[in-house]
Amino acid sequence: MLRNTETRWGSVAQAFHWLIAALVVAQGAIGLTMVELGTTPTKVKVFALHKSIGLTVLALVLLRLAWRLAQRAPREVPMPRWQLAAARTSHFLLYVLILALPFSGWLFNSAANFPLEWFGMFHVPSLTRGLDPVLKAFALRAHVVLFWVLVAVVAVHVFAALWHHFRQRDEVLLRMLPMSGKRRALPRQRALP
Amino acid sequence: MKMRIGCALLLLMPLAAHARAWKVDAAHSALTFTGTYQGESFEGRFKRFDAKVNYDPGDLAHAKFDVMVDIASVDTANTERDQALPGKAFFDTAQFPRAHFVTTRFRKATNGQVLADGTLSLRGTSKPVTLAVKFAQAGPGATLEVDTTLKRLDFGIGSGDWSDTSMIGNGVTVHGHLALQP
Repeated sequence: MLRNTETRWGSVAQAFHWLIAALVVAQGAIGLTMVELGTTPTKVKVFALHKSIGLTVLALVLLRLAWRLAQRAPREVPMPRWQLAAARTSHFLLYVLILALPFSGWLFNSAANFPLEWFGMFHVPSLTRGLDPVLKAFALRAHVVLFWVLVAVVAVHVFAALWHHFRQRDEVLLRMLPMSGKRRALPRQRALP
Repeated sequence: MKMRIGCALLLLMPLAAHARAWKVDAAHSALTFTGTYQGESFEGRFKRFDAKVNYDPGDLAHAKFDVMVDIASVDTANTERDQALPGKAFFDTAQFPRAHFVTTRFRKATNGQVLADGTLSLRGTSKPVTLAVKFAQAGPGATLEVDTTLKRLDFGIGSGDWSDTSMIGNGVTVHGHLALQP
């Protein structure tokens, strides 16, 4: 199913989720590594890769949000109100962070007056008029702070998904997993209409 | 009226025995260049240079340019690049703080374009370089536009690991705009 159903995320939503998750993890690893490199052409290439993947994430998140808003999400799995609120808040934060992170990187790159090419294939315009040291410092700080906030929220998100799966034994994780269409979580009592 | 006096002076000028010596108005002059990095062009300039200009369009035989450039004054509006450029792999300003260009002769191309042949010494290498020269009298002063294209690798700028021209283009266009005062 491409589209979401009442009980499961559709394959498009799942593809967005796991693809972006993989890219974000890769970005974190590349980002933390690249800043330690000495000034060599390798460093330039690794930075270029980080920028290209970041722009890809930005584009994918925008598409994902459009897809998310264009249809209904699956029905909420029954859970206490506080859990639901925590889930909604962290999902909202995750969307904001995976948009703001690449954007702050793009802003930093622009204000530092670095070139920007998407995988060497096309030019991506600058967000500033050349060098802007104040904005550059702000954008870099934002990029770093947002990253560590993302690490924290992702940790909560992953912990919650595993907790729901192994402790609560509900379908929260399964309905985002592609191969679990025929598997079911342990039956739970549902409120019938 | 000023123009007219200027023109009258210009008519008298070829009588002078030596090509005219001009003072360069540094505040209104610029030595800039355009390179390419990661497939995109970028602009740079040398904030400090000293140019001696002897030039009279009617007397190219006695014309002479002698330019000394303070290489460490390079500015490409990118902090990281400006920190890297004076380093050993690029300009190596510790060892070669200045570049020097001096003309050997002036000539006219068939299309009338004035060309200045000279020698550029940069980063320990001297190479023949030809400038395209445009001179325009303006009142008592004048403006001089010179253009040329250099190959950075001819001078060992960005050698070794940085010689990959797909990352840093080999061709660098250089432009000089000089405001001349009598």
